[in-house]
Amino acid sequence: VTFRTRLLLVFTVAVMASVGLVELLVLGNTRRAFENVESQRVDALVAQFQKEFDRRRDEIARAVSRIAASEAALNLALASDYAPYYNQASTLASAHGLELLDLVAADGSIISSAEFPARFGYKEDWLTESADWQSRGAVLRRQELPDGITLAMVAVRIVTAGDRRMYVAGGQRLDDDFLSTLVLPKGMRVRLWRDLGAGQQQAMPELQPLIDRVRASRKAESDVVGSGAAAETFHALPLTGYDGSLLAVLLVGSSRRELVDLEALLRTIGIGVAASGMLLGIGLAWWATARITRPVRQLADTAGKIAAGNWNATVDLASDDEIGRLARAFNRMTHELGEQRERLVQAERVAAWRELARRLAHELKNPLFPLQITVENMQRARASAPDQFDEVFREGSATLLAELANLKQIIGRFSDFARMPAPAMQPVRLNELAAESLKLFDPQLAQAGIRTAVEFDPNLPLVQADPEQISRVLRNLVLNAIDAMPAGGTLTLRTVAQPGGTLLEISDTGQGLTPEECARLFTPYYTTKTHGTGLGLAIVQSVISDHHGRISVQSAPGAGTTFRIELGERS
Amino acid sequence: VLSRRQWLLAAAAAAGLPPGAAATRPRYGGTLRVEIREAVESADPPQFGPGMAQLSSAFAVTRWEAGRRAVFAADENAPGGRPFLDIVDVQMARPQRERAIEFGRADLVELGPAELRPGSSQRIWSSAPVRLLALVFGPRVDDVRVREALSLAVDRAAIHKAMLQRQGEISGGLLPQWISGYAFLFPAAADIPRARALLSGVPASARALTLAAADRTMAERIALNARDASLALSAVPAGAADVRLAEARVISSDPALALAGVAAALGLPAPAPTAGPEALLAAERSLLEGARVIPLFHLPDLYAVGPRVRGGPGITPLGEWRFENLWLEGGRP
Repeated sequence: VTFRTRLLLVFTVAVMASVGLVELLVLGNTRRAFENVESQRVDALVAQFQKEFDRRRDEIARAVSRIAASEAALNLALASDYAPYYNQASTLASAHGLELLDLVAADGSIISSAEFPARFGYKEDWLTESADWQSRGAVLRRQELPDGITLAMVAVRIVTAGDRRMYVAGGQRLDDDFLSTLVLPKGMRVRLWRDLGAGQQQAMPELQPLIDRVRASRKAESDVVGSGAAAETFHALPLTGYDGSLLAVLLVGSSRRELVDLEALLRTIGIGVAASGMLLGIGLAWWATARITRPVRQLADTAGKIAAGNWNATVDLASDDEIGRLARAFNRMTHELGEQRERLVQAERVAAWRELARRLAHELKNPLFPLQITVENMQRARASAPDQFDEVFREGSATLLAELANLKQIIGRFSDFARMPAPAMQPVRLNELAAESLKLFDPQLAQAGIRTAVEFDPNLPLVQADPEQISRVLRNLVLNAIDAMPAGGTLTLRTVAQPGGTLLEISDTGQGLTPEECARLFTPYYTTKTHGTGLGLAIVQSVISDHHGRISVQSAPGAGTTFRIELGERS
Repeated sequence: VLSRRQWLLAAAAAAGLPPGAAATRPRYGGTLRVEIREAVESADPPQFGPGMAQLSSAFAVTRWEAGRRAVFAADENAPGGRPFLDIVDVQMARPQRERAIEFGRADLVELGPAELRPGSSQRIWSSAPVRLLALVFGPRVDDVRVREALSLAVDRAAIHKAMLQRQGEISGGLLPQWISGYAFLFPAAADIPRARALLSGVPASARALTLAAADRTMAERIALNARDASLALSAVPAGAADVRLAEARVISSDPALALAGVAAALGLPAPAPTAGPEALLAAERSLLEGARVIPLFHLPDLYAVGPRVRGGPGITPLGEWRFENLWLEGGRP
């Protein structure tokens, strides 16, 4: 994950969190505001409905009062025989727009009933139990009808004629038909829960909890019923009878559809705004991170180029901020490092040439000296003992040829290093190759009193390698180990199969190397020995490098030395 | 058999017209507009029974609209002579029938007892009590205690007083008092405590009955009375009812014939041929035994008569129409 990606993620999360928080706050506040407005609207509508309800009650009371004041009622009250008036209530109720009308004699027996004509003669004792009907408006009561019990709003008036009196009880059913005649604002509906007695209670499962609360508290309650767009706010109003018993609950429902639709619209707009804000934020974050990370990326790219060896790479930044100062410091540091490196390379090159010259002089000096002695001996023999010259010449010629061969060999080794051939890869059994290479040195190992230990991994896979070059590597390292243990010791060869390659270790128990020696060990023409060209380990490293492998050394003074060669799969 | 003149004199006296009116010379012509309660739904005009069927001796049907209207024209060759009226136009089951005369749309209107307007000076023709209202039990009600309890529960007196406006008579027998002379011997008084006592041992399921009646108010009243006695009656269509409020008409002034007719109309077995009141009483008791039929009332036919109608009454004590002797004021001389 790049720095820019991380920065972009941080910016994006920050933008999304901010926009989301603002969105939530706006939505929450808007919702509360609309809830308040809706609540006020519903309260107003409920008040309007109650007013309408009360108006209807007053209408009933007025209609009954008109009947009681009519001549027909007076005549009936004065009548000695009520039988001819059996149908009177129906006529009067029809004329005054009432559904229910009972004309009741002073003893409570029905003279005529509009809604239940067959009940004539039956008693209505509830009428005679109260004396203040005149001052009351319409009251709620259970009313018996031919098809059962219903609730009705009934007003009662008393007709008095001399010592005769008669009750006029009229009203309207309080049922769904009555409710449907009420003028209701759009989005409202009214339902009526009725307790008709004897366990006859209307079933309204969804509203039952609200009804139960009203029945328990005897006060108006409200609740939200349903969910989503179908939800309604119901105001429940208790309706009590003339005797104080709760007979019905009026449920005024106001649809929350508009509110829900409005909230949905707000939510949609909010989501749109939030999405736009987030997209804009992400875009801005993308742009900002690009601006912020461009110099850093340039720094990283330049550092990469420098790491790849391009010491001329520089960061081209002209800003005066921290990044600009960092870039300039980076350029300065790179420039100085380049110069230092150049100086170091120059110094190393000089040192290498010196070492080469020293080695070359040393190597050439050894054969040259016998050549000089031999030639001088031959000259002296020619001058002082001509009779022995032939013999001296013969011996001297042999010596000269031997030393010349030696010189040729020295020059050949240098030449070999200069032109190392490319490896000819083929599947190689490393264990077998190592064993064969070690076997070449058996006489020398025995002479030097060196014990060998072989720990070959039997599961070692075939390795793609040039067997000749790897054998040369092994011989070089074994020779080094023998040289490192002049007083004898143990030479250990170990192979280990490891993920992705093979490990070959060659350890001696010699005097070991210092860290400085370890650091320069693979430098050409460097040697810790008094003889040799200093090319052995350089050739070893070159071969391993050509095999895409890696060679390292672990050593400490007095603790022996271990060369680790790792050959990868490509090898 | 009365002569036409004798009949007219007798009718004028019976109709309560002033003495001069009976001597008024009848006039021919005009249309007698009649409204009846029932809607006769048969495909053809009725041939038997009271009402329109009895017009056939002097009038011929010229238009028949089942359930709505029938028009009869005077028969020039009628056996008793041509009737005075040209046309009898019968309207069936029209709304606000009880006010048809007041509205001027009818001359003769059949009324139910409850349709009599209190204190009205309306001229009324009434037959003798010839229509028997009775409760008839179906075969499902096999517990005689239930049937007797319902008989005891019905408050005939209250119904007769208010709903029937004291028209006709309360009756516990199949035949009216004016025919049999012994109808008073059949008990007709309500006795709720006794009804409850009878039902005390009856399971609740047997105490729930269905009642079918054309007169809904009457049915509701009977149901209320039954409820007082712990019987639950609920209204249903006629075909499926346990009890039905049936009407049977007395078709003859001969007691034996009348009893046979009523028994046949109510689905009772035909009474044995009898002679003498005692045997007739025994036969009627036998028919009523087990309370399969509960007689309630004997009601008259009632007609409101308009001011143009002269020459009545146009109905006989048995409720038969005798329109051939009527004429209308304003007809041609």
